[in-house]
Amino acid sequence: MADYGEYTIDELMCATLAAQFKDGDEVCNGMASFIPVAAIMLALRTHAPELVWLAGAAGVDPRPDRVPASTLESPLWRDSVMYLEQYGDFWNYAQSGRHLHTFCVGAAQLDQYGNANNSVIGDDYHRPKVRLPGTAGLADMGALGKNLLYWNTNHNPRSLVEKVDFVSCPGYLGGGDERDKLGLTGGPKLVVTNLAVLDFAPDSKRMRLRSVHPGVTVEQVQEATGFELLVPSSVEETPKPTAEQVRLLRDVIDPDGMCKREAGVK
Amino acid sequence: MNKVMTIEEAVGLVSDGEIVALQNMATQAAPMALVRELIRQEKRNLGLVCLVGGMAVDWLSAAGVIDRFIGAAVSMEQFGLCNQYRKAVEGGRVRVEELSETALNARLGAGARNLPFLPTRGMLGSDLIDINDNLTLLQDPFTGETVVACRALVPDVAFIHAHRADARGNVQIEPTIKWPDLGIFPKASKKVIVTAEEIVDTEVLRRNPDRTVLPGFAVDAVVEVPYGAHPTSFFPNYTYDTAFHLEWIKVARDDEATQAFLQKYVYEPATQADYLAAVGGAERILELTR
Repeated sequence: MADYGEYTIDELMCATLAAQFKDGDEVCNGMASFIPVAAIMLALRTHAPELVWLAGAAGVDPRPDRVPASTLESPLWRDSVMYLEQYGDFWNYAQSGRHLHTFCVGAAQLDQYGNANNSVIGDDYHRPKVRLPGTAGLADMGALGKNLLYWNTNHNPRSLVEKVDFVSCPGYLGGGDERDKLGLTGGPKLVVTNLAVLDFAPDSKRMRLRSVHPGVTVEQVQEATGFELLVPSSVEETPKPTAEQVRLLRDVIDPDGMCKREAGVK
Repeated sequence: MNKVMTIEEAVGLVSDGEIVALQNMATQAAPMALVRELIRQEKRNLGLVCLVGGMAVDWLSAAGVIDRFIGAAVSMEQFGLCNQYRKAVEGGRVRVEELSETALNARLGAGARNLPFLPTRGMLGSDLIDINDNLTLLQDPFTGETVVACRALVPDVAFIHAHRADARGNVQIEPTIKWPDLGIFPKASKKVIVTAEEIVDTEVLRRNPDRTVLPGFAVDAVVEVPYGAHPTSFFPNYTYDTAFHLEWIKVARDDEATQAFLQKYVYEPATQADYLAAVGGAERILELTR
């Protein structure tokens, strides 16, 4: 008998993200997003059977048999009920303000106010030290009133930084009411990493520790973070995934271990 | 009017310095035969427009064909970053105009409709606006709210790969996801060059007119190129070539190995048949069509 009481970090991250999706929500995924995809598939099989998934931001209500090797290729959107045309359909719904209120963001850098960078590392935009893939849809999702859920499988001081080198995805900008002043609604809600779950303080909008994963200390999280975290007087432990969640993820949703690969789990 | 050409003639319609809008996602549906022909004809100083560019952007950077990229991202997704593109940008040889997806759509949408610009609410608060002369903040004349005006973009030519076309340039796509590459690139561009897996009699298209995505009057050239998107995927016909992507990822870290790779797969194969033989022939193609 397999032991579903033991879990790996990708499984905990999937379960934590899945809990954020409410039944009846609409969510989409972008490329290289294995943990969000598995989280959506888990939510659909557990507490949110009416969650509407737009696979690759295009395939409506798909039925992939497992998490495939790519989250932006045809096996992900197999048996969709409709293909949204990206230019004419998807971005109309995404911009309408009436649909797709939640978006998962992965990026190379995330700062203390929830701004994300997937564009360049370095000071000179046109001669960067590192050219990253680019903003893709992040600059839109960050500005269009979405609730942003960040995931990061490698929590370290180079990925969680005091200030991003470049704002590809607007979060709370310089904190406080800066985002409101631009007329932007929504914004960063949660950060799920391999060490902890974090959110943002209501007034300052600074990143705040919400829970540490089992076996991780507050000090370890602070040490792995490139800025000073807000730490409440009592920090809870992140709930472990249930045995049933682990079974679904391991045997049904992601038998090829794409999430483990993404999270660097051996 | 018969629009059928050889690939040499079709790519001959592109002049140095022009802007090419290339159908492409990380590992999907890129008209790679046209990309190879751009390299073989030694085009220079081209601008490239993609929503998400993949291996094509890497090859065109390595071969010195492009000096600017306009788009939302460049990545081969599961296979990793495009290292030759990255090196060209970091070395100042390729300049990037990075746009959010709604901004790219707005620039092309304005171009298609002969409007000076279209606005988006995307990107507000990001650093993308200040560094880009083609974007500016604008007050909505009706409500006073701030939006981002995105200047019209009219590419000189769009490259499309399709499942089938007829000789007059009517183009069909099988039911699949349609990215802005199909939704707006060809409508915004001055010329449209299409490679198709097969050129068929118009009567074949009449059986499923709902699958026709481009009317012949809006297409300038049609070239028959079976497996013309290899090594990217072209569903439902074939999947992406994993081994070929892994080979490229490996050689792209080294400039000499990169040039040897381009020699073997781009410069030497004179025809599509030669290219398919070079990448593994019938055996490889059968694996990808399974």
